[in-house]
Amino acid sequence: MSTTLSETPQFLQERGGRVRALIARRDVQLIPVILIIALISGAANPAFLSSRVISSLLIAAMVTTLMALGQTFVMLTKGIDLSVAPILGLSAVIVGFQAQDHGLPLVQGLFLGAGIGIVLGAGNALLVSILRVPPIIATLGTFTVYGGLQFLVTNGSQVNTVPNQYTVFGVAGFTILPGVPWLLIVGVVSTICAGFVLRYTVFGRSLYAIGDDAEAAFRGGIPTTRVTFISYVVCGFFAGVAGVIYLMRTGSADALTGTQTNENLNAIAAALIGGAALTGGRGNALGALLGSIFLSLTLSAMGIAAHIPDEWQPAGIGVLILLAVVADPRARQGNNIRSLLRRRKSGSR
Amino acid sequence: MHVSTGQSVHEFEATVVMARVASAHPLGLVSATGHSYEIHGAYKSFSGVPVLKDVSIDFQPGQIHTLVGENGAGKSTLLKIMSGIYSADAGEFVLDGVELGALTPADAQKKGIYLVPQEPRLMPDLSVAENLFLGALPVGKLHIMVDWKKINESAGELLAAVGLSNDPRMLAGRLSLAHQQLLECARALAHGCGVIYFDEPTSPLSSHEADKLFSLMNDLRERGLTLGFISHRLDEVESISDRITVMRDGEVVERSERGGLNRGELIRAMVGRDLTLTQRPQRESVTTGAPVFVIESLESAPEVKGISLHVNAGEIVGLAGLVGSGRTELAESAFGIRSASAGTVLIEGKDITGYSPSECIEAGLIYLAEDRGRNGIFAEVDLTRNATSAVVSRLPRRFGLLKRKAEQDSALLVAEETGVRAANMDLSLKSLSGGNQQKVLLARWVLATPKAAIFDEPTRGVDVGAKEGIYEIIEKLAADGLASIVISSELEELVRICDRVYVIYEGKVAGELTGDEITAEALGNFALGAA
Amino acid sequence: MSTIQPARLWRTPIWGGILAVALIAELVWFSLINRNFFGGGVGMLTQIESFIPTGILAMASALVIFTGNIDLSVGAIASLASVVVGTALLAHVNIIVAILLAIAVSTLIGLINGLIVTLLGIDSLLVTLATQFIASSVAVSLAGNNPPSGFAADFLSLGGGTIGPVPVILIIFVLVSVAVALLVGRTRFGRRTVLVGYNPSAARYTGIPVARTVVGVFTLSGVIAGIGGVVLAAYFNAGRSDSGLALLLPAITCVVLGGVDIFGGRGRIGEVFVAVLLLGYLTQGMLNAGFSSLTASMVTGILLIVALVIKIAVERPGGDTLLGAIRHRVTARAATLVRKR
Repeated sequence: MSTTLSETPQFLQERGGRVRALIARRDVQLIPVILIIALISGAANPAFLSSRVISSLLIAAMVTTLMALGQTFVMLTKGIDLSVAPILGLSAVIVGFQAQDHGLPLVQGLFLGAGIGIVLGAGNALLVSILRVPPIIATLGTFTVYGGLQFLVTNGSQVNTVPNQYTVFGVAGFTILPGVPWLLIVGVVSTICAGFVLRYTVFGRSLYAIGDDAEAAFRGGIPTTRVTFISYVVCGFFAGVAGVIYLMRTGSADALTGTQTNENLNAIAAALIGGAALTGGRGNALGALLGSIFLSLTLSAMGIAAHIPDEWQPAGIGVLILLAVVADPRARQGNNIRSLLRRRKSGSR
Repeated sequence: MHVSTGQSVHEFEATVVMARVASAHPLGLVSATGHSYEIHGAYKSFSGVPVLKDVSIDFQPGQIHTLVGENGAGKSTLLKIMSGIYSADAGEFVLDGVELGALTPADAQKKGIYLVPQEPRLMPDLSVAENLFLGALPVGKLHIMVDWKKINESAGELLAAVGLSNDPRMLAGRLSLAHQQLLECARALAHGCGVIYFDEPTSPLSSHEADKLFSLMNDLRERGLTLGFISHRLDEVESISDRITVMRDGEVVERSERGGLNRGELIRAMVGRDLTLTQRPQRESVTTGAPVFVIESLESAPEVKGISLHVNAGEIVGLAGLVGSGRTELAESAFGIRSASAGTVLIEGKDITGYSPSECIEAGLIYLAEDRGRNGIFAEVDLTRNATSAVVSRLPRRFGLLKRKAEQDSALLVAEETGVRAANMDLSLKSLSGGNQQKVLLARWVLATPKAAIFDEPTRGVDVGAKEGIYEIIEKLAADGLASIVISSELEELVRICDRVYVIYEGKVAGELTGDEITAEALGNFALGAA
Repeated sequence: MSTIQPARLWRTPIWGGILAVALIAELVWFSLINRNFFGGGVGMLTQIESFIPTGILAMASALVIFTGNIDLSVGAIASLASVVVGTALLAHVNIIVAILLAIAVSTLIGLINGLIVTLLGIDSLLVTLATQFIASSVAVSLAGNNPPSGFAADFLSLGGGTIGPVPVILIIFVLVSVAVALLVGRTRFGRRTVLVGYNPSAARYTGIPVARTVVGVFTLSGVIAGIGGVVLAAYFNAGRSDSGLALLLPAITCVVLGGVDIFGGRGRIGEVFVAVLLLGYLTQGMLNAGFSSLTASMVTGILLIVALVIKIAVERPGGDTLLGAIRHRVTARAATLVRKR
C-alpha cells in the first residue's frame, strides 16, 4: 500500500464503502447469478450451453431489453407504462405490412417503428404528465385503445412474409462469435445510449430527482411536466423499436402480437429484476439489459434444462417478480406475522 | 420522506467545530448578492377561500425580515408566491425596480430567489452534491454531459460554507434533519440566490440546532443577502429580525423595525386580543397519588435506553428533551407502534407491554401522534368519521350494521365538548385550521375514554389562539382523572401545563422537576446534558 | 355553544347522478335505434347478461382499491375458479360442493395475495401481477387441452336461467353488490377498510389493525372473484382457463368510472354499480350494432380516459391540471380587472 499511515484509515473506510455500495447494486449482483444459472443448466443439459441455444436466448432477450429500457425511464419517475405491449404490436404490424406489401427497407422500418412508438408514447405522456391521470390507469386505458387500433389496422389479416433483410437477424445461427448474435449489438448499443443519458445528462438526472420527490424537484426548478412527458415518449420509442426487433425475430405479426406474449409483464419483470423500483428514483440501463438476459435465460432453463411445460412460463415470471422485489430490502416494509395472528388479550366487546 | 432525526450530540458538536473552521473563509465561494424584492397588491385564494387580500411587502438586502402571524394568516402562502411555488391571482413582483411577470420556481431560482421549505425536501437516493445543484447541474463544454468532477468539488466548498463536513458523494437520505436543513441553505447558495426565504425552518430543530442556523443567517445578512423568515417562536423572532411584519387573516396588520414591538404587542397584533402566559398552579394532591400509568426500564433500540417513569391519576407530566432524544420513540414503544426490546408498561397495574395500538386503546392508553398530517388526521374524511376512528370496534350496531345516527350524535357531542370550530360535521378535516384539526383529534381520543394519555407535541403547528384551547382540554381531562404525558419541545409549554417534568437526554431520564422547579432555564440545561 | 351543524345521513351522489343520466340516455338511444334492444322493457334486462361476470369482478376490485391497493389477479382467479368448478362437476362432485371448492381455491389465492402484500410489504401491483400469472398457469395446466364443459342443467341455470323475467345471473350480481355496499358503508370492517385507504399510517396510529384489514380485503376479493368464476363457467357452459383474464381491464374501468379513487378511500359502491350497467349496456349495444368486441373495449378505454380527465380536471383545483390552469388564468384576469376598476 503506497499511502501514508495517517491517510490509511480514511482511505480504507472510503474504499470499503465504495465496494459495499458496488456490491449492493442489483446489476452487479446479477452477473454472478446469470453465470451460476447458466452453469447449472449446462450441467443438467449440456446442450444448453451450445452456441445455438445461447444465441437464441440472447436474441429473445433483445425485445425485452428494449422494452425494459423504456420501462426503466418511466419507472424512474415513479410511473409505469402498461401499454407497451400494444405499442410493440402496432409497430410490428404496421412496419410488417409495409415491409411485406411494399418492401420497406429495414432502416426505414426501424425509423417508422420508432416514429409510431414516439407518437403513441406521446399519447400516454399527454395523459400522465399534462392531464395528470394516474399512470397505471392512464396506460390501462391506452392499452385497450392501442390494442383496438392494432386490431383495426390488421383488419383480420396478418403479417407472415417479411423480407429476408429483416428475418436474417433473428436466426440463431447468424452470429458474430459463437453464441453472440448480431442482434445483441442493438441491445448493447441501446443500453449504452440509455445508460449515458441516465447518468450524464441533465434530463437523466432529472428523472431520478422526480422519482425521489416530484414536488421538491419541481420546486428545485426541474421542469417536471416536460421531463415526465419525455420519459413516456422515450418509453414509447423503445417499445416501437422493439416492435421492429420482434418482427425481425419472428417474421410475423398479427392483431394480438405483444399482448398475447405478455410483453408488458416481461418488460416490467426485467426492469424490476434489474433494480428499478415502483417507488421511483432507482434503476439503471445496465440493470435492464442484465434483467432481460436473466429472464430469458431462466425461462429457457426452465424449458430446456428443467423440462417444465411452457404453460408454467408466466408463473415462472410471476415468481421471479416476487423474488426480485423481496430481494430488495428497500422495497419492503412488511408487518410481522404477530400483527396478524395476535388475538385481543383484553376483554373486547 | 423518511429522515433520521436521531443525531447524537457528539456528532452535532463535531459539526459546530467544523463550522468554526469553515468560517475562516466564510462563504468565500458564494457569489450571490442581495436584491431588493417587493410585491404589490397580492391576492390569492384556494378553492374560493381568500388567503391573501391585497398584501404588499418588500425585502431589502442586508436585512432579515420576519413574517409572524397565526396559522392560516397567509405567511407561507405569501413566501411561496414570491418564490414562484404558487401563482398569485393578482399582484406585481418588483425585483431591483424591474417588474417581473409570472414566476415558476425555476424562474425564481434563476433570478436569485429561493425558499428553504419548512421540512427539508431532499432526494434521498441522490448524492449530497447532486442535491445541491439540482435543477442547474453544471454541464461540460458541449453542454451535454453533466460534469461530476466539478459538482463534487464545488459541493465540498459549499458544504463547508454552511458548516457541514459530509462527503459530497454520500446519499442525502442519510443526513440528519438538521443537516438537511443546512443543506437546503447550501442549495440556495449553490444556485447563487441572493434572496433566501426560510419557512419555519426551526420547527423540526432543537434549540441548539436552531442556533446554528441563526448564526448562518447572520453571516448571510452581513454579506448583504436579502433574507425572509417565518417563525412561530417569538423569542427567535425578536432576537434575529431587523424588521417584523405581522399578518392576520390574509392581510398585513402591523409593520415594525427591530425592537418596535414588545412581546405582548406582537401577540396582540397576531391574534387581535390579549393572551397571557401563566404557570400552572401547583397541585400537591396529584403528585403524591397512586400511579395509573407506569413505564419500567423500557428499551427500544437504538433510541430508548431504559426509561422508567410513572404518572398519577389527574397528573400532567411533561417530557422535555432535544429532538432525537428518544421521547417520541418512548411513546411509540409504549403504544405498540414500535416494539420494545425490554421493560414493562402498566396501566392501573395491568401489564400491557407488547400490546398493539388497538389493544392499548382497549386497555385505556391513547397516543396523540406527533406528526399530525401523516399519523393523525384522515384529511379527506368528514369530521364524524375522523372523531370515531379510534373506537370503530365500539360503535353501536344493529344486526351487524352500524347505527349511523348514533355515531354522528356522539361525534357531534364530543366535537362540541373539545371546542371544535367548524360549519358542519360533513366537512373534510383538511378544510379546518391546524388548531381545529388538533381539537378533532383530541375529540377522537376523548371518545376512547382513556385512563392514560400521551400527547406528543400537542400544539405543534397550532396558532397562538388555539393553543390555549388545547391546554384547557388537556387540563380538563386531567381534572377528570386522566394520567397525561405531554411531550413538547417548547419549554414554555411545559412550564405552562405540567405538574412534573422528566427531562430525557440520549434515551435516558436525565432529571425530574416538580412544581416551582420547572423553569425554562432548568429544563434547557437538563435537555442539553449540562446539568 | 353549539355552532356545528350535525352531519347529514344522506349525501347526494353527484357523480352517481351524472352516471345515471348517461345510463338512461344510453338506454333510450339504443332502444330507439334497435327495436329488439328494448324488448318491452323486460328484454333489456337480459342484454346485460354477458357483462355480469365483469361486474362481479368490478366489485372484487373495488374492495381492494378502497384500501389504496390494486388487485390485478381477480381475472385470473376467476378463470381458475371456473376451471376448478368445471373439473369438479365433470368428476361428478355435488354442485354445491363443486362451487364451494372453487370459491375455496379463489379465497386461498386472495388470502395469499393479502399475506404477501402485508407480511413482505411489497406493492400490491407487483404481487397481484405475479399471482395473476401464477394462477393463470395453474388454470391452464389444470384445464389441459380440452377445457371441462357440458354441465348439468341445474348448474347452467346460474348462468342462463331466469326467475320470472329476471336473469339469475343479474340477481347474483345485485346480491353481491348489495352485500359489498353494506360491507363498505355500514360495517366496522368496511369503515376500517376505508380509513386504511385514506391514510394507512394514521389508521395504524388510531388503533386500526391495518395488516389484518388488508388481508381481509384481499381474501374477500378472492371470494367474490371466485363467485365470478363460477358464474363464468355456468354462463359459458365451460371452464375456460382464459375466460377471466380479459375481464380484468373492463372491471377496473368500471371501478374507476364509478368514481372510486385509485389511491384509496373515496368512492361509493352504488356508483360503481351504475358504472357497471353503463359500460355493460354500452358494450352490448355496440356489439348489437355490429362492432367487434375489440372495438367495443377500445371505446371503453376511451371512455375511461375521458371520464378520468374530466373528473381530475374538475376535482383538483390549484392550477395543477389543464382545466385548473385555465380557470386559474381566467380568475386572475378577472381579479386584475376588478381591481383596476
